[in-house]
Amino acid sequence: MEIKNLKNYIANEWVESKSKESLEVRNPATNEVMARVPLSTVEEVGEAVRAAQEAFQDWRETTPYTRARYMFRLKNLMEERFEDLAQIIVREHGKILDEARGEVRRGIENVEVAAGVPSLMMGYNMEDVSQGIDEDCIYQPVGVFCCVTPFNFPSMVPLWFLPYAVACGNTYIVKPSELCPMSQNILFELFDEVDFPPGVVNLVHGDKRAVDALLDHPDVRGLSFVGSTPVGKYIYAKAAANGKRAQCQTGAKNCLVVMGDAVLDKTVPSIMSSVFGTAGQRCLAGALVIAVGDVYEPLKDKLLESAARIKVGDGLDETVQMGPVVSQKSLDRILGYVEKGIEEGATLLLDGRDIQVEGYPNGYFIGPTIFTDVTSDMVIAREEIFGPVLGVIRVDDFNEALDVIHDSPYGNAASLFTSSGKWAREFKYRVRAGNLGINIGIAAPIASFPFCGMKDSFFGDLHGQGRDAIDFFTDRKVVISRWF
Amino acid sequence: MDLATFGAIMSFGLDLEQQAAAFYEIAARGALEESFANLAKSARKRAVRMERARREGIAEMILEPITGMDGDDYHLELTPDADEAELLRQAIALEETTQRFYMDAAVKIPVREVARTCIRMAQESERRRAELEKL
Repeated sequence: MEIKNLKNYIANEWVESKSKESLEVRNPATNEVMARVPLSTVEEVGEAVRAAQEAFQDWRETTPYTRARYMFRLKNLMEERFEDLAQIIVREHGKILDEARGEVRRGIENVEVAAGVPSLMMGYNMEDVSQGIDEDCIYQPVGVFCCVTPFNFPSMVPLWFLPYAVACGNTYIVKPSELCPMSQNILFELFDEVDFPPGVVNLVHGDKRAVDALLDHPDVRGLSFVGSTPVGKYIYAKAAANGKRAQCQTGAKNCLVVMGDAVLDKTVPSIMSSVFGTAGQRCLAGALVIAVGDVYEPLKDKLLESAARIKVGDGLDETVQMGPVVSQKSLDRILGYVEKGIEEGATLLLDGRDIQVEGYPNGYFIGPTIFTDVTSDMVIAREEIFGPVLGVIRVDDFNEALDVIHDSPYGNAASLFTSSGKWAREFKYRVRAGNLGINIGIAAPIASFPFCGMKDSFFGDLHGQGRDAIDFFTDRKVVISRWF
Repeated sequence: MDLATFGAIMSFGLDLEQQAAAFYEIAARGALEESFANLAKSARKRAVRMERARREGIAEMILEPITGMDGDDYHLELTPDADEAELLRQAIALEETTQRFYMDAAVKIPVREVARTCIRMAQESERRRAELEKL
């Protein structure tokens, strides 16, 4: 198999990095090296920013209708290359084809929403705010933006930002995850086909050095980040210190509360997809099930029965329901948490550690793993494991369930399973988390809604996607006028 | 083969249509030429529809495990070099099988839009079978 050296895309040219440092990109199902990703230099980041800055003025003067047409072209190309986009996600990330297709679909939906920019970017006005005086609020693009994105949704997450930024008249740089960078190279092949003016969209591979170069560059006006909480805090602080706007979606430890009146036959499949989908490597993944009262025992039995049936393997096999985790390092970290859970006294109800996937002896596989008798003070209940490991906590009542949720530093997502409108309303009203599910295990906002988050799960005020994205990528300017 | 995911069901349907198209194309001869050629064309169109439904109907929020469907229950033995009477019998069996598959899939698939597509496919298969039985 040919090992590809990934290139940067700057000012509509595929450019080989001059950096001598690179990392291997491995298929997590087979451990085969598929590509090498360069760790670009500070100078190369500078070239991308310069190209984006030079493109900005002409691009902002391009009418929103024309900019929207670029989005239509991009959407059409993504539909044509849909399976290619999905398959590369599976090969570099390990998730199953259905999940990869879902990721591509959500990416396309963001492009579709951004294509509405002629309406989304309209300002507002009022006549006669005082005698003969009118006031207008206009939306204007800002300049060069960039994103630093994670491995777990390598194709979609940049599309929470880029289409909106570019449709609003800004220019853009993507710095993808060095673990899963290939999806963005395919997407940029489509950008190249769309034929944006040079410098409007740019791709620079790299690591922390590239991120720091973006954060330090005076021409970068803002940055979007999705990843871990420590890195998000660092980026947010540094962006603020350098006068840039930033939105940082970070870690999570999401709770799924199951009330005694929940419809268990519908609840359990939803929990399965939330906890074990993408092998638990979603920031919206359920990590803790909080069973309220007597539902604990029947729920535990059903969870075990369903999780034990999940077929683990290479995500390209459509009969497989859960793929490997992304890297050996991730696998080792997850296995460490399983050890920790045992040490802490939780009961290992389902042990996924010794799973063997026939024909894939070198893949980073771990099977569905369930701990019961978990208490909220345990490390496995407090820290983000980011793997297919579920902890089940028993509480006496709804208020105690909320206490467990609120005891966590995170506030990304939370779900409630119930048949009661009263509990659903209480949950919506009181829970301090940004994305809530009522009888939904994966509370994933669709493109026209913001991807929310609170507490240590989000740093910033405007989120990715939807109306928030338009506000993030524009300046508001008020014009007060009087004519004599 | 367990059809335990949305993609597995949709891809199985897509394969059925491609198999049907190939069968009707090769078997279109003699008294069956015109009707089988039309069925082949229709199967190609249905394959495109299934691919589109798989691509556009996927919804991450409800990607839940599916149970109770097995591809072996819809296994077909098609021999397009058989005589015309046998070809007709196989075509009728093919349409019965696809109708049954899509009716079963419509119940299992959690996305209503895609389930409607499956029902439409099943209804078409039923009509096609009825037409074949008149030949």
